[in-house]
Amino acid sequence: MSATPNDLVHELLAESVLAWRVAARVEREGADALVIAGAKDIRIACAPPHVPFRWTVTIDGRTRPAISLVAVLRQVREALDPSYAANRVRIAVAPLVPS
Amino acid sequence: MGADAIPVSVLTGFLGSGKTTMLRHLLRQPEFSRTAVIINEFGEVGLDHELIEASEDSFIELQTGCLCCKIRSDLSQTLADLLRRRDEGRCTPFDRIVIETSGLADPAPILQTLMTDAAIAGRLVLGGVVTTVDAVNAMGTLEREGISQKQVAVADRIVLTKLDLAGSEKPALLNRLEAFNAGAPVLIADHGRVDSSLVFNSGLYDPQTKSADVNAWLAEEAHAHARHDAIKTFAIVRQEPIPAVALTLFLEALAEHCGADILRLKGIVNIAESPDRPAVIHGVQHVFHPPAWLHHWPSDDRRSRIVFITRRVPQRWVEVLLEAIGDEVADVQVMHQLQSQRPS
Repeated sequence: MSATPNDLVHELLAESVLAWRVAARVEREGADALVIAGAKDIRIACAPPHVPFRWTVTIDGRTRPAISLVAVLRQVREALDPSYAANRVRIAVAPLVPS
Repeated sequence: MGADAIPVSVLTGFLGSGKTTMLRHLLRQPEFSRTAVIINEFGEVGLDHELIEASEDSFIELQTGCLCCKIRSDLSQTLADLLRRRDEGRCTPFDRIVIETSGLADPAPILQTLMTDAAIAGRLVLGGVVTTVDAVNAMGTLEREGISQKQVAVADRIVLTKLDLAGSEKPALLNRLEAFNAGAPVLIADHGRVDSSLVFNSGLYDPQTKSADVNAWLAEEAHAHARHDAIKTFAIVRQEPIPAVALTLFLEALAEHCGADILRLKGIVNIAESPDRPAVIHGVQHVFHPPAWLHHWPSDDRRSRIVFITRRVPQRWVEVLLEAIGDEVADVQVMHQLQSQRPS
């Protein structure tokens, strides 16, 4: 279930850093990872194959899985933005299709 | 949402901008005879309700504080009580509710209450936001008062008042209003008199016709780059249908990362699982209304179009967020398909 940190993911992280107004720089590290240099060192990589998540996020040496890009963004924001109060909203677009 | 859902319109505008004067005029019109009014005043002694002639039992004054910050639960309770009295025939029948906020109210929490409170959400539908703007003082007020900016930014209709006193400031003021909210039509009130048919007809979703005022508010798309230093309006447009789960994740990420800065979001979305029935979405800050499903597309244009009124949220971030989430969802769907085709 692995992903690829392609140009779009790179741009998303770069734009996210701008949107959150935190000082950080997003760069590629080979074909399979992105690194973010800011208040903490962050490495985002594809998860190994055959695991039930898509990404790994390593923050100052500690690696955690992330099931989706939304989860990646949450972990990165928590690491970089001390003023961020994680608001774990859940929006049910229900019904998903018209009844 | 039931077909008999009652539209609730929010009448807002800064202190002294003519809300009560206009409402007093509107309530004299025959088409507003079945209107219940909730009025909120900020201060020890409320006066506005004294200025409005309306049936006493369909008129409620909330005086315990500013509607937006102190008495959201009171508003919810008041609306629930009003509906109960209507059901039991204990008040004059009404088929519309108008909430007049105090001049210092942030309208966003009020809209959120209307959209989310379980006791009332199923029976009420947001009928739109009307903001009065005093042509004499608005330039200064908009410069100084963030609340005033927000009241204008979230409006579906803007009503200019006191133009007779405003001298030559009108063109500059119109430019200023466009910078905050290019999409809302600007109406003129003459001593409170305004074309009543145009004021409260801005409902995002009409439960009677199951249609939306889509064309009106999508006109904002044409002005999608109107800008102010802090408040920006933009639209994102997608040709390809959006999977329902991608839309859910997108809205969730928006709310999580910049909820407070999304003053309003309105859109018509081509959901991949429902190509013939578009979804109308609507959000205020971190709260999103469940989508309303139209019976059919309002025109041949089947693109998803979402209009944002935000405070310092970069447009490109929103575009890339939707694109990246859409890609990820598509990628996962392909992988699941491949896995299901693989022999076990």
